[in-house]
Amino acid sequence: MAQIARSRFSLASSEVRKLSAFVRRDLLEMLSYRLAFVSDWLSMIGQVVVFYFVGKMVSPETIAAYGGSQVSYIEFVAVGIALTAVLDVGLGKVISAVRQEQLYGTLEALLASPTASTTAQLGLAAYDMLYVPIRMTIFLVLVSVLFGAHFTWTGLGPVAFILLAFGPLVWGLGIVSAAGVLTFRKGTLVIGFAGFAFAVASGIYFPVGVLPTWLQPLAEANPITVALNGMRSALLGTAGYRDVLPEFLQLVPIAVVCVIAGIVAFRAALRRERGLGTLGLY
Amino acid sequence: MREELHVGMAMGTGIAAASDRDVGSREIAIDVRGVSRRFDKKEALRGVSLLLRRGTVHALLGPNGAGKTTLLRILAGLVDPDAGTVVVEGDPSMERTSRRYRSTIRMTPSGDRSFYLRISGIENLVFFARMYGLRPKQAKSRAQECFAAVGLEHAGDLRVGRYSHGMQKRLSVARALLVPAPILLIDEATHDLDPQGAARIRGLIRETVEEGAAVLWATQRLDEIRGFADHVTLLNRGEVRFEGTVRAFMAVSPPRRYLVHLRDAAKSENDRERGILARSQEALDGLGRIVPTDEADDGHLLMALEEDVILSQALGALMATEIEVLACLEERSEIEEAFLNLTDPEV
Repeated sequence: MAQIARSRFSLASSEVRKLSAFVRRDLLEMLSYRLAFVSDWLSMIGQVVVFYFVGKMVSPETIAAYGGSQVSYIEFVAVGIALTAVLDVGLGKVISAVRQEQLYGTLEALLASPTASTTAQLGLAAYDMLYVPIRMTIFLVLVSVLFGAHFTWTGLGPVAFILLAFGPLVWGLGIVSAAGVLTFRKGTLVIGFAGFAFAVASGIYFPVGVLPTWLQPLAEANPITVALNGMRSALLGTAGYRDVLPEFLQLVPIAVVCVIAGIVAFRAALRRERGLGTLGLY
Repeated sequence: MREELHVGMAMGTGIAAASDRDVGSREIAIDVRGVSRRFDKKEALRGVSLLLRRGTVHALLGPNGAGKTTLLRILAGLVDPDAGTVVVEGDPSMERTSRRYRSTIRMTPSGDRSFYLRISGIENLVFFARMYGLRPKQAKSRAQECFAAVGLEHAGDLRVGRYSHGMQKRLSVARALLVPAPILLIDEATHDLDPQGAARIRGLIRETVEEGAAVLWATQRLDEIRGFADHVTLLNRGEVRFEGTVRAFMAVSPPRRYLVHLRDAAKSENDRERGILARSQEALDGLGRIVPTDEADDGHLLMALEEDVILSQALGALMATEIEVLACLEERSEIEEAFLNLTDPEV
């Protein structure tokens, strides 16, 4: 019994070690696209500049107070934009990574190696999971320096705590979508639309209170809104770990369902492709 | 003849036939029985059976569309068969998608698409070595060894996207050799390689075979199987048309044909009829036939030997009638003859 447990532990740790290889590979790939790296940052800064001027037309009273103090629109939206990076990775990058593996023909090579499909799925987003929190922090620092926004930097810890639940939730959804891409080859349009609808009925760019009354309960239940509420309370107010615990606990069961759905859907898609003999088709 | 299955064992050449399966099971790396696979209306494989022995190179021959790649992909666990069984290392419980199964088999695919194009060949190898379970330092050193072994040391930090077809093939073989595995499935590995490169790759594969690996080598380069492969399976339209040793395979050929150059053969048609051609035909009576070639009248004749007749017999018969043979060339290799004989003509 103990031997089986030891062998399982050794197998699991060997799979976890493989994740660093994915990170290294993706870092090298990213460095090979230097212009894309620069343009990613430029577009994000450009987005903030636009919202900075839009914010000049928005009365701060329309935005909820956090920790008892009124916040500006740029502070409100900057947290929303920071969170979209997580959505981009979880939905966009995972899907495009699977598609790229199909196009390069590396998906078969990867699946023919003794690597668990769950490791491969995690590996596809491993680099971004590390990069996004760093990118998010640098982004908030830049917004603070360039546009005079005020953030509670001690709130980064509680934000990371929320992301522990929100990250896997989005990753699970991304893997479900990736399974769709694996099966139907095209599917990014539908996924893009779903992502857009998801983002609109949240509070990324505007408070949920401005939405039509019938849409508000839906938006309040949206996991993005839940995560944003927690993040804003921490970064714009004074909320600590204990204060964001309700949001965290609200996200955890959804995350568990999404992760299980993702793993099951991806395995089913692989099984189907093997059955059809079309795994290498792109 | 074309519809028969030729089995080397029946000719006394020692290939493992169905009855051998259980007797020599310890030596058998892969036991394929009755594997079939259909893609829509096309039957890619029909009841294919094959035994791959440890420490041997088993050539898988066949024209385009014969089912070679489908069979390799089934063995690699990338495609499911519709019917039939694949038993690896004598363990029927090993699932084709299991981690253990995938640790046992390495595959070199036929196409170019199997690497990350934006990163270097070495980095690709390091990545896959990690996927095979090596730790970072081991992966790096093993990647460098294999990179050099396939003759890519000059490629250094070049991105794979800039590799030629041949370089990608070499890299693909290097990947298969990263972590020794008992079974190698190699699909058209020498297809885009120059003769030296192809010989180098075959040498590397032969080394792994000496160490006990079993290699299934799919190819259309018929010339390379002589002196390299131990066994041959020939597929045609998804069916096994031949299974046996290379020697037995070469024996499945029609009467051998030779291009012979005889003194005084390059004379007018009338002279020939009266002279050298008629005398040659007479001398070869019962041993074979001799006819003018379709080429310009340059003194060469085409000599086709009957079955069981060896070249020296025919030449002896010609020389006995004082016909001078100036040169004698094999018109086509026995391997190519056998291949053409066992496969359907291209439609």
